[in-house]
Amino acid sequence: MAAVRVVLADDHSIWRSGVRTDLGEGFWVVGEASDADEAIEVIKREKPDLVVCDLHMPNGGGIRVVKECGENTVVVMLTVSEQERDLLEAVAAGARGYLVKSTPGPDLRAALLRAANGEPVFSPHLASLVLGEFRRMSKEATGTNPLSEREREVLQHVARGYSYKDIGERLFISPKTVENHVRNILSKLHLNRKQELIRYAVEHGIE
Amino acid sequence: MAAFRWGAWAWLAIVMLLKRDELLRPELALVVVGLAFAWTVAATVLVSRAPEMLETPAALLTELAIAALLGIAGGIVYEQATTASEAFSSTRTIGFAWPLVGIISAGIVWGGWGGALAGVGVALPRWFAPIVNGITFADYESQHWFSLMSTTLLYALVGSVAGYMSTLLKRAERDLAAARAREDIARTLHDGVLQTLAVIERRADDPDLARLAREQDRELREFLFGAGPTADRGGAADVGPRLRAAAARFEDAFHGTADVVLAPDLPHLDATRADALAGAVGEALVNAGKHGGAERVTVYAEPDDDGFVYCTIRDNGRGFDPETLTEGIGLSRSIRGRMEEVGGRMEIESRPGAGTEVRLWLP
Repeated sequence: MAAVRVVLADDHSIWRSGVRTDLGEGFWVVGEASDADEAIEVIKREKPDLVVCDLHMPNGGGIRVVKECGENTVVVMLTVSEQERDLLEAVAAGARGYLVKSTPGPDLRAALLRAANGEPVFSPHLASLVLGEFRRMSKEATGTNPLSEREREVLQHVARGYSYKDIGERLFISPKTVENHVRNILSKLHLNRKQELIRYAVEHGIE
Repeated sequence: MAAFRWGAWAWLAIVMLLKRDELLRPELALVVVGLAFAWTVAATVLVSRAPEMLETPAALLTELAIAALLGIAGGIVYEQATTASEAFSSTRTIGFAWPLVGIISAGIVWGGWGGALAGVGVALPRWFAPIVNGITFADYESQHWFSLMSTTLLYALVGSVAGYMSTLLKRAERDLAAARAREDIARTLHDGVLQTLAVIERRADDPDLARLAREQDRELREFLFGAGPTADRGGAADVGPRLRAAAARFEDAFHGTADVVLAPDLPHLDATRADALAGAVGEALVNAGKHGGAERVTVYAEPDDDGFVYCTIRDNGRGFDPETLTEGIGLSRSIRGRMEEVGGRMEIESRPGAGTEVRLWLP
């Protein structure tokens, strides 16, 4: 398999060099950036397979990068904390998942390889945030939860600490199907956020 | 406030002007109206130049004294009354509105009780104004007492409400400032210390060093994002810090990692149930480490559809056959006991080689 072309964006250079060392073989770092402007420029120029991006950077941070480039590029957020409020915002904007900066090197590498292959990188924390977000939506908007029962079940298993493989075994489905469910959940989240924004704009008379 | 003072003063001046023929001592009326005018001007200047001066006791007492003077002057400046009704007629007072500003200011600076006291103090001279006007207490009729009473009450009420509102506002301001300061600290530590700790945690070859970094990381985070001033309020307790403390004990004792994953909309519980949940989780964690040899545990809690809190403790340990192993029975009995005490229940799922999951429901 050809090396995965990566762009690293983080305003701490020690981080970029650390991640680069951890990535090792199989990855090819084609560009680095230390703020959102630079990152967007490099991504548009290099068209990488994968972007590893810090949530908090100058000039708009990772959220801006995802909003500008998330449609066509796989973006994985690196964050220092799982309790950050804007994490959900980044994922709803189109990030393919996130990793905590303390993730050990080999795990980081494995997760990024999976992400590059199109698998969403979902941690229990993220699953819990997304579940909460859908509960909020179903309470506030239509009264019906946009998630199917199966999708909710999958997400809850992720939150409880099960791997896709474990979940497949428990629910008698293949890991690939689990992955598809997770991908659908992400696009529903993305879509719902867009609809919410539109509804907000209409209600507040923004053309 | 300055605008109100001017409005009230203008009204006062107009009334005096219209009734100048009824005045027995116009020069005295001129003096009190002049005093009120002088203070209104002085206060207006102070508001723009040195607003803090208006909050000094000297300024407040001056204003209150003038306000009280207006009350008693009502009895002196008019022609002597012959009957009580005459003395009490509303045409025989000077400035009912102007004193309000002083009372409100007193409330703002001295709080609810101070404001109420100022109100009573300003109203008191009005009780005696008719006496000065040539009437005795014996002539007061019931409706006069009632009118004096209601004026006093109104003034006191205005003062105490102003005081109460301003105390509330000040407290809100203080809380806001504290929250802002916390956010500032959080941002600084976040960009510096937490990043560095994460580097150490990741790159340290020494497991003890890595664990130390993780521990500090967690404590700092708890301080920054966790137990804020709103954590325990009105008897409802945040279970987050309790569960994270239990996870920390697991990590210290068994050198594994325990993730605590909490739903963003997890409700606050009362202290008894929060303690029961944290106790049960702690016990499940000890068992995961001691009997299961688990290295990774995920503690997850969310609100479920039936209004219960649903909590799971899932580990990657050896697992056991719940039917045969006595350990399993002892464990489940003790955790079940804690849950049943608060009306909850538990379930345990384990298979040799596939880890263990303890599931808890709390009403």
